[in-house]
Amino acid sequence: MSEGQIKKFMYVNRKAPHGTIYALESLEVVLIAAAFEQDVSLAFMDDGVYQLKQGFNTKGLGVKNFQPTYRALDDYDVNKLYVEQEALAARGLTEEDLCVPVEIMSRAEIGKLMETQDIVLSF
Amino acid sequence: MNIGILINEGPYTHQASDSAYLFARAAIEKGHRVSRVFFYHDGVNNSTRLTEPPQDDRHIVNRWAKLNQEHGVDLVVCVAAALRRGIKEENLASGFRISGLGQLIESGIQSDRYVTFGD
Amino acid sequence: MAVEINGKTYETDEEGYLLDINEWNEDVAKLIAEQENINMSSQHWEVVNFLREYYNEFQIAPAVRVLTKAIGKRFGAEKGNSQYLYELFPYGPAKQACKIAGLPKPTGCI
Repeated sequence: MSEGQIKKFMYVNRKAPHGTIYALESLEVVLIAAAFEQDVSLAFMDDGVYQLKQGFNTKGLGVKNFQPTYRALDDYDVNKLYVEQEALAARGLTEEDLCVPVEIMSRAEIGKLMETQDIVLSF
Repeated sequence: MNIGILINEGPYTHQASDSAYLFARAAIEKGHRVSRVFFYHDGVNNSTRLTEPPQDDRHIVNRWAKLNQEHGVDLVVCVAAALRRGIKEENLASGFRISGLGQLIESGIQSDRYVTFGD
Repeated sequence: MAVEINGKTYETDEEGYLLDINEWNEDVAKLIAEQENINMSSQHWEVVNFLREYYNEFQIAPAVRVLTKAIGKRFGAEKGNSQYLYELFPYGPAKQACKIAGLPKPTGCI
């Protein structure tokens, strides 16, 4: 690994937490990536905002509830979480519905932030 | 330019792997270097040597293997995603290797451009 | 594979990780530790119990770096370093301690 080089990585989460595996496997990337000490941020857009909606119960689905893991991100020094305002509004959600502290941003603002990134990984 | 690629979808069901392949070929023809392709999510299914498409269809797996052979493109399959989906050394096509997610991040760090193909 | 204790059989994978993490108890932990040539001291239990708490709260086993920091915070700075953890678990706190704690095998993705 190239020592000392720090790039800006943004992980874009666009899908609902269950129904497909994208959210879970994206989270797995973020946790591993944290060991590389890069500049990491997460953006939650479209149905991806549901990933942070509090109070999931997956018992009936028979799948693991990985929502608590978002609360561990801070331990991994991943603390730049951006949530798309329009996506929340369209789904009748507000900041209070979310399970971790985030920064709410407009779609356009997140777009601008993406422009400043070196790597954007979209899941 | 050094280009890294991420493929998040399986072969045949989804176009991601085809598009990535065509993109990689075009980039190489233009004189760029595709250093690594990382297979994640269902993308790991691009690496099984049990794949046998009909004769009149493209062979997606072999096509990638050839790119590895001819241009040294490093084909890395995520171990965690692969184990979930039944991809192991014993059914891994030649030209591919199984390794960790760190290889994805490393590729991002080392590439001049990083391109994701997925849904 | 399986381990047996007090007349009960616990299925494990080929590396000795419990297949059903809900079956874990202290006796089976001691047995797994024995197979790893580890004699469980109170310091070992501190780490193992901490891992289990962490897993229950966050549904993941913490990365070694995160574990080290958290152990230091909880049990004192002299314990919050990887040397201390490797002395307790020579083959790595992530692998060995997780196995004894009955947590899923770390995917070891690096």
